[in-house]
Amino acid sequence: MNQVDSENTNRQGREEPLTGHELRDIKDAADLYQSGSFKLQIDALLPNVRPKESGRQQLDHFLFALRAHCISIPSIAPLSPLAAIKVLAKQGVAVPSVFPLPSPDVKWKVAFEPPREFCVVGSWGNGIAVKKQSGSRFSVDLSMEMPEALFQEKDYLDGRFFHKKSYYLAVLAQSISTAFDVDTFYSSALGDPRLTTLVLRSRNGSASYDFSKSHTEVHVIPVLSSSSPLSSSRLFPSHSNVRVPSSSSPPNFPTPIYNNTILLSTCAKEALMSTHELKNALPAFHDAYTLLRVWANQRGYGDGELCARGFERKGSFWAGLLRYLSLGDELVGTKSGSAKLRKPLGKGLSSYQLFKAALDFLAKHKFGETPVFTKTTNGHRCAPEEYITHHPAIFVDATSTINFLSDVPLTSLDLLSHDAKETLEQLSNPGASSDTFADCFLKSRFKISSRFDAVIRVNLSQASRNQSTSTVIEHGSSDAALLASISSLLRRGLGNRTQAIAILQPVTPYRPISSAESPSTSIIHIGLIYDPAHAFRLVDHGPSAEDQDSNVAKEFRYLWGSRAELRRFKDGRITESVVWEVTTSDERAHIPVSIVRHLLQLHFGLSAKYVRTLQTPFDNILQLPDDVHRLHRATGGCKAALTAFDGVVRSLKALDEQLPLALLNVSPISEYLRYTSTFAPLPIPASVSAELPESLRFLPTIPIILEFEKSSKWPDDLKAIQKIKLAFFETIAQSLMSSNPGLKASIATGGSSNPFQGYAALEIFTAEGWSFSAFIWHDREATLLDRIIDPGKMFVSPSDQKYNAREQREAKVAQELYTRRFIYAPRHHRAIVNLCHKYSAYSGTVRLVKRWLAAHWLLHTHVSEEAIEIICALPFVGGKQTSTESAAAVPHSKERGFSLVLEFLTDWDWKEPLCLTLYEDDPPATAPEMWTSNGPDAIAVHRLRAFAREASKVLRNAETELDIKSLFLHSTDDYDIVIQLNPTVLPRYHQNINAESSVWTRDAHSGITESTHRPGFDPLPIFLADLQSTYADTLKFFADPFGGDRIGAIWLPSLGAPRPFRALAGFSSKPLAKEDKAKDKDLVMLNRQAVLDEIGRLGTGLVQKIIVHEPM
Amino acid sequence: MPVLPKRLSGFTVIPIAYPSSSHFIYARAHTPPKSKTSKSKNVLPEGRTLFLVNVPPDATERELTLLFKDCGTVERVLFDFNSADAPEEHESDSDEEVVEAAEESDTEARPRKKRKLQTSEPAPPKMMPLPSPSLRTLRKTGSCAHLIFLDSSSLAKALSPPTSPKPWPSSEEPRGLSHYMANYDNERPPLDTIKAHADSFMECFEFNLSKSKQEAKYRKGEAVVDEDGFTLVTRGGAYGQTLGGGVGVASKKFMLTGKIGGRKKKDKKKEKDAFYAFQKAEKQRKVILDMKKNFETDKQRIEKLKESRRFKPY
Repeated sequence: MNQVDSENTNRQGREEPLTGHELRDIKDAADLYQSGSFKLQIDALLPNVRPKESGRQQLDHFLFALRAHCISIPSIAPLSPLAAIKVLAKQGVAVPSVFPLPSPDVKWKVAFEPPREFCVVGSWGNGIAVKKQSGSRFSVDLSMEMPEALFQEKDYLDGRFFHKKSYYLAVLAQSISTAFDVDTFYSSALGDPRLTTLVLRSRNGSASYDFSKSHTEVHVIPVLSSSSPLSSSRLFPSHSNVRVPSSSSPPNFPTPIYNNTILLSTCAKEALMSTHELKNALPAFHDAYTLLRVWANQRGYGDGELCARGFERKGSFWAGLLRYLSLGDELVGTKSGSAKLRKPLGKGLSSYQLFKAALDFLAKHKFGETPVFTKTTNGHRCAPEEYITHHPAIFVDATSTINFLSDVPLTSLDLLSHDAKETLEQLSNPGASSDTFADCFLKSRFKISSRFDAVIRVNLSQASRNQSTSTVIEHGSSDAALLASISSLLRRGLGNRTQAIAILQPVTPYRPISSAESPSTSIIHIGLIYDPAHAFRLVDHGPSAEDQDSNVAKEFRYLWGSRAELRRFKDGRITESVVWEVTTSDERAHIPVSIVRHLLQLHFGLSAKYVRTLQTPFDNILQLPDDVHRLHRATGGCKAALTAFDGVVRSLKALDEQLPLALLNVSPISEYLRYTSTFAPLPIPASVSAELPESLRFLPTIPIILEFEKSSKWPDDLKAIQKIKLAFFETIAQSLMSSNPGLKASIATGGSSNPFQGYAALEIFTAEGWSFSAFIWHDREATLLDRIIDPGKMFVSPSDQKYNAREQREAKVAQELYTRRFIYAPRHHRAIVNLCHKYSAYSGTVRLVKRWLAAHWLLHTHVSEEAIEIICALPFVGGKQTSTESAAAVPHSKERGFSLVLEFLTDWDWKEPLCLTLYEDDPPATAPEMWTSNGPDAIAVHRLRAFAREASKVLRNAETELDIKSLFLHSTDDYDIVIQLNPTVLPRYHQNINAESSVWTRDAHSGITESTHRPGFDPLPIFLADLQSTYADTLKFFADPFGGDRIGAIWLPSLGAPRPFRALAGFSSKPLAKEDKAKDKDLVMLNRQAVLDEIGRLGTGLVQKIIVHEPM
Repeated sequence: MPVLPKRLSGFTVIPIAYPSSSHFIYARAHTPPKSKTSKSKNVLPEGRTLFLVNVPPDATERELTLLFKDCGTVERVLFDFNSADAPEEHESDSDEEVVEAAEESDTEARPRKKRKLQTSEPAPPKMMPLPSPSLRTLRKTGSCAHLIFLDSSSLAKALSPPTSPKPWPSSEEPRGLSHYMANYDNERPPLDTIKAHADSFMECFEFNLSKSKQEAKYRKGEAVVDEDGFTLVTRGGAYGQTLGGGVGVASKKFMLTGKIGGRKKKDKKKEKDAFYAFQKAEKQRKVILDMKKNFETDKQRIEKLKESRRFKPY
């Protein structure tokens, strides 16, 4: 490719114009690639994923020696297959067993003759090998041609070919393992014994043939020569080549996968040649292939812990894909739709363009519906209809013999399409804040919790394997048959609810050559990606009642079992249907998973014990303990809060006559009114409150903003404005109370010494037990505050008042509160409400993230709720205004959203601004600092990232351990001090993650319980704020705002050492005994114990004890 | 146990016994800064003012008074007194906290404004204050206070190092949870009190406003005309407040900058920048150079990333 060497050509003069060559390179980089830097990054990536030169010689040396050895292996006379197995077993080598096993009385025999031809095939042979996931070596595919004499014409029958091949491989294994100092294994891709190869790995420190430096392993693949007696026409998909003695299956069933697998043994060399041709024809082929493989490897199409089923050792598919794109379609039959044939791509495309074209094809092609026939030279070898009727997914290669996708389930292909779609979306509108290149090639997508909306862990060890013998034979192993059956049933059952279903399993491990069978799969993970438009549908309609006996109806009933029932619907239809009953929104979010559970239970006898998800544990995190609900005797929720809010607005508007100014607008600014509060708000009527123990009494006060019509009657003085507001509140309160019996209104004066600040609020306590606090927005305040802060700004000052420094400081504080509360909060609220409506999983995500941050003692005091709401929008909006809910990367479940936010926080560079276009009417850059000006500071962000990292780790374990509670448990070890509070006096204690119900059930403890009802009263945050402002330079405090009963604190390191005495030091000190009289400096130390005593005194009634974690 | 110094940089160390430790207050006689106005001397009389450092954050006046009870009678305590912040206006109109603190010791509640307005001739309306029961104010840790004794002899007594740690006295203001509850209740006074307060404040405000209007140079209803004969109009109120007559309102821009923006003329560029051949060539050259520069910076960035082993995908 065009290597840009501008460094050497143009070093001396930067001002020199470019040479034509350079200019073209730079232009090309920008035009043919995503951008110039994208091209540079590609160039940097490619050498890292290709084999290095080192060690090649040793490898070649070994290959030659291997060839010389294999040619000289003595022939073995024909033996009956069972006898041959016994002979080899004595030497400690097993023959990979292929189903059906040969019966003892078969007439055919197995034999061995040295291989004819040796050839390095596959990607290594073509020099296009791509590095696999970490730890794996490059595989060098060495094909060894089995002599034709070993085979007979009828060997395609009953697995005879595979038995012979297995025997051949076993003899090779036996001979090689004794002759060479190498490790030998069998490897059966996809657990299919028919695809078994012999793996040779150089032993570390081996004297003779050490090729470990080349980081490779040799795969010995016995192949069939093109002139073998097996006729290829017998291996067309529709042919039935296995006869099963049992009566359960029809005697003649087509065996397309079986046939395809035999054909695979014939075409290794051909594939090598055609790929080589392609490599010469398309200059960018090599790079594009590498990019495509890296992309696929990062997404589990290859090997690794969690692979999409079907793509093991499918290197030829990716090369075949590129060949198809460059050659185009082969015409299928006489179909008139030939106009729709794919046009071949140009040969001059850049690697990036070719890569993108491949993704585009993968994203748009529906493998389940349209077959793919690569353009051939000689036309179809067999009728395309044969493929179409016998294979679910079809991608036929250029020789028209092999279907690459014969054993790839459609679910995996759906996933492939989905991933391609997601990457294309990222490439075509790169978000401002994300790194497209890294997302595309560098980040591994193996974290399934952030990749799938739902992750289901299934233990297959107890699954009933009731597949018929014929299916097992066809798929090669009972595992493969089971997985194929699960895949197709789930795909049918979930239908358009999901965009993709992933069946993930670890790559089939290598096994020693003494073991005949591949270890069976016991754990698989099923990942679902929802289609938000359909995923949570309540009813699945089947065929109508009229065609009860049709096949469709039968299949429907078979699929759903007893859940299928005839129902009459509102529109008069009577259809077979399945109805999913839900009572809560949480349950509704579980519908797709319940479907999976139902199907697995019905068809494979897997009970709930074996099919597990993280959904319910996550739901529980956001719910209060059951007995709390019982004691509260109320149903809350955001909907109820919104209704209450509407009620208050209505009664406020009804007062119009009694107010001097008309009420224009009431805007909500609370998380409780925008679905993002961690806990659903609960009303507590005054009557109930008196009976509740203190630790259950928390009633949130919901702030709202009142906006009156403009008037010139307002005084032009800030202090007076605040008093007028008081008078206003008084009028509203009186008239509200008289017009709404049961409603109580009071005025909270706020008790601030800042005369400019509008602390006062009207508190409305409705009869149902909701509490609101209303503020009046008067826009003149902003101007007046501005005048105080910056008198120079005013050309003409209306009054000759001068303000001193203190007043200016106070005005600044007041102004900040004013802008936050009256300007940004309503706007933020509207934006968040929009997000909640647009993305169904958004609110759940925010709630989980808030809960998590709170549990780690960071929410409120260090990270504001609004900042979190903005950060949580990131995975949904992704820096783009135009994204819709159906975009591929948007999460559709709160668990996935949570996981994505954690991922973001893990490597969040908080110094980089985070830009999201949430506020439609405003340049986005101005808003966020409003919510982060009070933190997080460096310490908090550092902790935040550490927690996020820890949590991501736990979450990955949680995929297997299913314990997410530990995500929300906070270790207090790293705090210097932990202040234990008395839980019985904390009104929010019931929200604690580890709340103990004994705290509120102990009625005897009611000595402290006061009868006064104080809506919104929560001593913890006030105490925390008092501590933080009192000891701002001494300690840093942390606490869980959601029912935390502990406060953690760390000593700020700056006060650790003795320092000279100063009058205004700002910390509590103790004098140090003078050791050296000569020293005239009077040193003092931080008086830690006294500070702790003071904290205890400040928190009289709250603090139970203070635990110190370090030696004093 | 090491012997702690009795004096530190001219301060007397006064140990206070806490439940499991000792707190230390440092005391010194107050010395007024030389270059100050007479005002701060009035507030802090020399000779009987004690300067305290590292006062406990929740200390109340009463507690400090009790602490120095055996030295003499304390007239008043000023917390965090900062002369730079002290307003330069009337004394009684100054720092509310100071006044409040002073009033707390008074048993009979005297309306604050009354005192101030005693001097002015027309009887001003009375202002009803919001109820303020004595509650603690938390200050920053390690802050200082000025303690004014009634008698100057007490100062010397207070400055002599005490023999043993004194226990920290306690006043009746609630602490901790009960403080927060009391504060909550206190912040929500009865509605009629609020009404009385707001109304009386507004009366005061109107009264003062009209008084200042009388003294002001600009009078309502009269146009303010400067020497050149221009009428001054300012923004104000919701619809603009004219000090003078019924003229239009000055634009916001004018208010802020004092400049007349003038009609917005579209500044059309008169010169074409790609008219001569050399201009075109320069432009082209610049584009190419920019391109190269961008490319180079990109390249450097990638090199840096390469070093950080970023391009090893797995």
